[in-house]
Amino acid sequence: MKMLRNLSCLTVLLSFFGTIAFASGHGWSLKDAAKPYEGTTVDVVFLLRPGYEAIEAMLPAFEEETGISINIIKHPYENALGEQVRDFVAGGDLDIALIDLVWIGNFAENEWIVPLADVQAKFPDIVDPDLDIDDFFPLVLNAFGGWDDIVYGLPFDNYSGLLFYNRCTLEEAGFDAPPETWGDLKDVYGPALTGDGKYAFALQSKRNETQSADSFARVLWPFGGSFLDADFRSNLNSAESQTGLKFRQDLMQYMPDGIVAYDHAETVNAFSQGDVAMITEWSAFYSTVVSPDTSKVADCVEIAPEPKGPAGRKPALGGFSLAVASQADEAEQAAAYLFIQWATSKANAREYLERGGVPARQSVYMQDGLENFKFVPALVESWQDGVPEFRPRFAEWPEITEIVQEWGTKIMLGEVTTEEGAQEIGTRMEDVLEAAGYYSGDKPLAQ
Amino acid sequence: MNSARALWPQIILLVVIITVCVFPFYWMVTTSLKTQIVALEAPPVWLFEPTLTNYFEALFEDGVLQTLINSLIIAICTTILSLILGVPAAFALARFEFRGKKDLWFWFITNRMVSPIVLALPFFLIARNLGLLDKHVTLVLIYLTFNLPIVIWIVTDQFRGIPYDLDEAARLEGASQITIMLKICLPLAMPGVAVSAIFSFIFSWNELMYGLILTRTDAKTAPAMAVSFMEGYNLPYGKIMATSTLIVIPVLIFALIASKQLVRGLTMGAVK
Amino acid sequence: MHRQVSRKTIFAFIGPAVIGLAMVGIAPLLYAVWTSLHFYNLTKLKRVEFIGLENYWTVLTDEVFWQAMGRTFFLLGTALPLQIALGLIIALVLHQPGLTLLKTLGRLSLVLPMATTYAVVGLLGQVMFNQKFGVVNQLLGGANINWIGDPNNAFFMIIFWDVWQWTPFVALVLLAGLTMVPIEIEEAARLETKSNWILLRFVQLPFLVPGLVAVLILRTADTLKLFDMVFTLTRGGPGSSTEFISLMIQRVGFRGFDQGLASAQAIILLIITIVLAQLYIRVFYKEV
Repeated sequence: MKMLRNLSCLTVLLSFFGTIAFASGHGWSLKDAAKPYEGTTVDVVFLLRPGYEAIEAMLPAFEEETGISINIIKHPYENALGEQVRDFVAGGDLDIALIDLVWIGNFAENEWIVPLADVQAKFPDIVDPDLDIDDFFPLVLNAFGGWDDIVYGLPFDNYSGLLFYNRCTLEEAGFDAPPETWGDLKDVYGPALTGDGKYAFALQSKRNETQSADSFARVLWPFGGSFLDADFRSNLNSAESQTGLKFRQDLMQYMPDGIVAYDHAETVNAFSQGDVAMITEWSAFYSTVVSPDTSKVADCVEIAPEPKGPAGRKPALGGFSLAVASQADEAEQAAAYLFIQWATSKANAREYLERGGVPARQSVYMQDGLENFKFVPALVESWQDGVPEFRPRFAEWPEITEIVQEWGTKIMLGEVTTEEGAQEIGTRMEDVLEAAGYYSGDKPLAQ
Repeated sequence: MNSARALWPQIILLVVIITVCVFPFYWMVTTSLKTQIVALEAPPVWLFEPTLTNYFEALFEDGVLQTLINSLIIAICTTILSLILGVPAAFALARFEFRGKKDLWFWFITNRMVSPIVLALPFFLIARNLGLLDKHVTLVLIYLTFNLPIVIWIVTDQFRGIPYDLDEAARLEGASQITIMLKICLPLAMPGVAVSAIFSFIFSWNELMYGLILTRTDAKTAPAMAVSFMEGYNLPYGKIMATSTLIVIPVLIFALIASKQLVRGLTMGAVK
Repeated sequence: MHRQVSRKTIFAFIGPAVIGLAMVGIAPLLYAVWTSLHFYNLTKLKRVEFIGLENYWTVLTDEVFWQAMGRTFFLLGTALPLQIALGLIIALVLHQPGLTLLKTLGRLSLVLPMATTYAVVGLLGQVMFNQKFGVVNQLLGGANINWIGDPNNAFFMIIFWDVWQWTPFVALVLLAGLTMVPIEIEEAARLETKSNWILLRFVQLPFLVPGLVAVLILRTADTLKLFDMVFTLTRGGPGSSTEFISLMIQRVGFRGFDQGLASAQAIILLIITIVLAQLYIRVFYKEV
């Protein structure tokens, strides 16, 4: 590891000098590259999340250097898709698409976004020679930015599911380490940590994307289940998927009442108030749970990768890439590309990380002095190997997620059994896929 | 009748009514003065050190001020427009005889019942083609769909409550219909006009769905802003309540000023 | 009684309103009818095709749609009687002579719920009904009731806020009706009988009927349109327990992007609303 780190330092150093040499040799600089596009305004949708605040804080440097201004339109996550879809349908003002991994099939198939290579071919002068696309975690680049083997977007706001645990509570109960498997979490840690108004675990399950991404999918994969089989038929009634869904029902006894109304905010809050000992949440919440302003347990927070299931460690995967919009005019496309390239660059990754963002650059995590970011080892481990289709990424996801959200919460509430619920989701999901033409062979089975 | 014994139940009832109406408002205001940690205290605290930070942040950092101004412009314009279009129409419906009058009246009222969800997307696409997205005028116009019916409904009833003898007399003296409406009937129908103005203002000020879909930044309305803090990631309760308070206060002032008219104008066709 | 005036005069008075409303009301509505006859998914605009009444058939046979509709009418059936009963009590109390100051205060405080932005009511509900740090559980003596996360409680909570927000409106409309009772008649009746009930039933009620019908029409329409408060409070959850018809249409049209289907749902909703309104008016209301 040490050698690796030294080696990587060397690489960073080399590439640094390399860049300078290259820059002086070929004269590439952001300033010069942006010259023709000075005065261009780029419109982009941002969320109200830490990674976006981080880049916003860094933005003045970019605008100063390039003369390009970035017009940020802020939306909460739940509105961001609708807002962008309407804009693209109407041929609106957005020059950059902010793409959650589950939206990419949709955006790509509608040709609302331009493949990265096309932009680069069109404007060769704006491509940073130090772009180093291989430096992105391959899983992340592929899942967040790629569709059908074509890269559209560069990973920008990146998440992996992590296990946040309250070391103090665990130690009091006699545990010196977090659970290694989901089974242990339920059978060993669950009973020991639940009681007196305290709960072992909370799984955010509110009826929106949280239900399908954070709750439903999270119990499918580790148990060997999945949404679809190889023929794109529902796999939710398979023994493995059912084991996972039943596990969730069983685990609810160690969660607070009304967990179906918990979104991220409620879950993180329950953890920060010390009411819940463990949560599986996105890496981006790190800053919230360790800040004394928002957390009563700041000193006790530790982080581990998500527990393993019978099918291995299959942590939740989520995150956003930025891609150039096809509706933008030439100058806007070039300016948009320059911004995306800058925001996700190797050179800016460290500052982005320190300001609360989570970059997807492998190089930055090999640097020294990251001890304060306790989530890094678990994050890097989670991104080595994961399931890109953790939630299917095809164009039909927005419709399917609504179905999963409705019946997923009904299952949790006990209004239907796991089998009935899975059956309902399966039938409705297959209807959507049928209408989309997957079964008639009109469409390739890509997710 | 007014013996003390008969008064007590009344007093208790009134106090209960006032408490129930005011308490949520009180709770909104006090929560808006709490920091996030205090706001999440369980059980909730009633006495705490108030802070205005939420208001400063909301108004000046997050741009709530601009959305309040937008809402004000839109609500006032659409109210005035509804009155200009609605009052003469109401006068005609109350005073003139013509074929299809009932159907016309019913058609006006029906517009009040159309769910915004029906019109939102078509309106979005039309507005986009005309370059009218994110403009105040778009909302002013679409708010007519629910304001004009309420104006016509209430004001028609008011006009009908005014005796004919008055305008007959004026007509014999040679006054035109416009003069009769403006000089004779309108002053007497003022309570109804005032009430419909209040309702137009309240409905427009409070509208969310169109505001969400048809605006983005320049014309973003205050309710759309309040909802946009609801990122599932983090719920800044104090700030949400501060924004809510800022939204409720202007319309409250407006409604309180006019509250005397409320009762006189809401007769809804109960003519003497 | 009514006067004959020239067509030109009539048009001058009523034309602008008709044209204005037709522009903003009818054009989009026709557009919605058009989309309802097509496969029209915002994310699949390459595939727009005419499918006749298929969307309507899907809606009419979709049990989820009818469940949402049933839920909506259940809300109307529970909240509206409460609003009318409480509104009548409040109106009668405020109509009694005496206690002027307290009654003025009462009338002023009625304005408060009515003026509160619907979306804000939902946000406020989240804060006040939170299981842990909500004031409602505290006022109930430290109860540990799970309001937002339990299907029945969540529904109750929606009823509570709907009643809180709209009872004052009903009260004011009924109060306005009561003030229309000529004072001579009311006093004469009071000499005849001591019973408030007889007074209400035979003297005041005729003056309250138009207001009641107006309330019936407006509240029915508004309940079918109900969106903002529920959206900010429960978003239709938990499960589907508070998914009312407008929330469902919004979900299909703006989250699933199937605008064709959503338009068909919305148009069926509109037809139901109009039929109901016609019914109310024909039965109770003397039209213009």
